[in-house]
Amino acid sequence: MSDYVLQAEDVAIHYGGVKALDGVALTLERGQIRGLIGPNGAGKSTVIDAITGRRRLTRGRVRLGGEDVTALGPVERRRRGLSRSFQRTSIFGQMRVRRQVELAAHSMNPEGSEADAEAVLRELDLLARADDVAEDLGYGEQRRLDLALALVGRPTVLLLDEPMAGLSVKESLDLAQHLKALTSRWNVSVLLVEHDMDVVFGISDVVTVFELGRVIASGEPAAVRADPRVREAYLGSAA
Amino acid sequence: MTIVRIGLAAVGALAVGGAVAALVGSGTVLSLLTQAVIYAVFASGVGLLLRQNGMVSFGHALYFGLSGYALGIVLQLGWMPAELALVAVLAAIGAVAFVVGLVIVRVPGVAFSMMTLAIGQMLFLTASRSRGLTGGADGMNINWPSTLFGVPQSLLLKPAVLFLVCWCVMVLVVAGLALLLRGRFGAVTEAVRDNEERARFIGLRTLAPRAAIYALSAVIAALGGSLSALNTGFVSPEALHWSVSGVALMMVVVGGYRALWGPPLGAIVYFLFKDVLGDWASHWMAIFGIALITVIVFSPTGLAGALERLLPSRRKRAAAAGRPASAH
Repeated sequence: MSDYVLQAEDVAIHYGGVKALDGVALTLERGQIRGLIGPNGAGKSTVIDAITGRRRLTRGRVRLGGEDVTALGPVERRRRGLSRSFQRTSIFGQMRVRRQVELAAHSMNPEGSEADAEAVLRELDLLARADDVAEDLGYGEQRRLDLALALVGRPTVLLLDEPMAGLSVKESLDLAQHLKALTSRWNVSVLLVEHDMDVVFGISDVVTVFELGRVIASGEPAAVRADPRVREAYLGSAA
Repeated sequence: MTIVRIGLAAVGALAVGGAVAALVGSGTVLSLLTQAVIYAVFASGVGLLLRQNGMVSFGHALYFGLSGYALGIVLQLGWMPAELALVAVLAAIGAVAFVVGLVIVRVPGVAFSMMTLAIGQMLFLTASRSRGLTGGADGMNINWPSTLFGVPQSLLLKPAVLFLVCWCVMVLVVAGLALLLRGRFGAVTEAVRDNEERARFIGLRTLAPRAAIYALSAVIAALGGSLSALNTGFVSPEALHWSVSGVALMMVVVGGYRALWGPPLGAIVYFLFKDVLGDWASHWMAIFGIALITVIVFSPTGLAGALERLLPSRRKRAAAAGRPASAH
């Protein structure tokens, strides 16, 4: 029996001759945070799309808790505990905050969905805005709402695509620490794509580095930071 | 809106209808109002599609006219009592529209509108040329029985009674929609309308709810068509023409689609314009067009939106009083 809650095996996505992903293998253990870094166009967001079923694989398999979910669509994967956020804020603009978070909670587990939504709203400091229409929220609040939609229903695996994008340094660090505490408390495994190196190296248990659709390094943050290939390809020699 | 508030609003609206029926003595005026209310029901269907699915239909006259034809044919053949025919026709139209919806709601934006236009015009041409079945361009009479739901036709077709029946149907449609959409079904369809991809990634299936809204809007349009068939006792291909769908869409835009009572308000305003302006301007549609542009420019949420902005909301009143408004 596998200890991994998520396994991506030999995942490839090709567009004609372009290899957006080529033979990527990733795993997540329960409660683990894996940071994904790499230059723009390296394939980080495409990995999330591949794992969540947003894009069809050219080759490879995705397993969730040991179950092969490669042939399943996004809805079925979500209902099995695989959740995600998006690079661009992806919320329901004309709905009230509470209504959309409760809806997301209900689609995962009708029993206790109101309490679940309330808990997530409280955790992400959105209770005071719960009765407001989402498009009236500030940018940082909308990012937190995006995260709330991904967190309700207590997913086992959370894939976050640049959750700190557009936030100030302080907001990013606050949200990162909050996220680390929350996922640890709720025992959620996280795959985190993020350009903010302080955040990634600060909260990740392991870090994987992408370049041109392939994994070039993977390991504990300190080891990855010291890897000469990573310094050359991404972090820069001065890092 | 809470259930109590919806109920109170519905009772208030029914009382207004009763007062109009009792106080307006002119049969001509009541007849005009009846026509307006029939179109209000029709416009509610078109508005529902825009409100919940974000989709513009140029072909809902298909369902408005089809119900009249279906009733006419079923009653002519004598297959079933008129009351049952009415229910069966609406159910059949709902089922057909759901299947059609499963196909066409996948098509985004303008392409969807063009598809509805094409389907509607196909039926218009079919009805115009099927002389043996539909009477062709001359249309067909509908053989209503002498009593409907136990009410003699002589009483039912009195202007005040028919107005009141149509008004009650309109109020029940709007109140029913308000009750339905405040629940989970409404939340699901709003989410799918706002962000279909995100909806899938919170675990919602997105096709069936969109098709269900399409079917529900078709049934409401068909209900309007059935009332029209009762009112005139006649149906012709004009009822299926795309221009009828266009008129309903204008009513929705003028009244505003975000509030459920917007499309009915737009229908009533349209008929008032038509009647009042029509008396002294042969090109009253041009004047209505200017009014339409004015509404679009100055109040994109229609007259209902403008009225809601003028009237302080419960939330604002609660905020002014320093207490939180309860969530709906």
